Amino acid sequence: MRESAQKPEDWLPLTPAMFHILLALADKERHGYHIMREVDERTDGNVKLGPGTLYGSIKRMVSEGLVEELEERPDPELDDERRRYYRLTDFGFRVAKAEAKRLEQMVKSARAKKLLPRVKAG
Amino acid sequence: MKTLLGRRVYAVMLLAYPKDFRSEYGSQMLQLLRDCERDAQTRIELIGLWIRTLFDLVSTVPDEHFQNLRKESFMNKLRTDLIALGGCVFLVALAFVLLSYGRSHEVTAILKFGFVLDAIATTGILGNLIAFALMQFTSIRPLKIAFWTFLLVCSVPALALLVLAGRDPKFQSFNVVIGYVVSFFFWYGLHWLWSHKVRPTPAT
Repeated sequence: MRESAQKPEDWLPLTPAMFHILLALADKERHGYHIMREVDERTDGNVKLGPGTLYGSIKRMVSEGLVEELEERPDPELDDERRRYYRLTDFGFRVAKAEAKRLEQMVKSARAKKLLPRVKAG
Repeated sequence: MKTLLGRRVYAVMLLAYPKDFRSEYGSQMLQLLRDCERDAQTRIELIGLWIRTLFDLVSTVPDEHFQNLRKESFMNKLRTDLIALGGCVFLVALAFVLLSYGRSHEVTAILKFGFVLDAIATTGILGNLIAFALMQFTSIRPLKIAFWTFLLVCSVPALALLVLAGRDPKFQSFNVVIGYVVSFFFWYGLHWLWSHKVRPTPAT
């Protein structure tokens, strides 16, 4: 794990897949299929994570301490015991936040260049 | 039934991923595909899912192998392999030099071992090239590769020479066979020593 040695900014920019996964895990722990469904629904079906992309990103984020695997399933009676759940670590949360800020800055710049319409106040 | 076949095909295709990745996430990936198949309402959706999954596999397999190489410290592995290959080239060159010196100066002491040196030089070039390539691009155990490669590389030409030139009274069948047998033990022995010294097998 590189968590202690690294700042969240060292991870930026994140790959789109990694950021989507971090977003999906920001509010609750989920297993792979839930992550994929959440991303699919949140992006209106525009982003569909394949198994290789999803688990490849999860593998990297687990090994670098952004995401951790839960030892116990949140709803053991409700689902398949073979499913593995993941959740954000504190470091992962800080990385996601830093990426969101970076993207916010980009959107601000795009608005300043009139690539995006200005948000009406009030 | 068709989706079951599809899953079996996908399970086979997962073999393209590195072993570590497959054993850690292979069953999860299969489970994910099963869940997605369940969600697909129509045949078109199922086809779309499969096309996406195949593209995903093709695009992520090289990445996982690259990550694996980095994890194994690519430069260290490359350095070890280059030392081994350099050693083999040196030994082959030495055999050639000794042989040509012995022939040109008619040094009996060297010419006595002419058959052995000949076999060591020729099987060394071919055998090491094949073994090195197989070790780089397959996950078969290096010693197993060395054994079978040198067994084939030494026995095929020996048998071919026996069949083609065996009836020629000047042909020294016994010496040729001895040369290739010694050559097999020489090269396989070196690979065995190398694998035990540089890449010790983990204790079970």
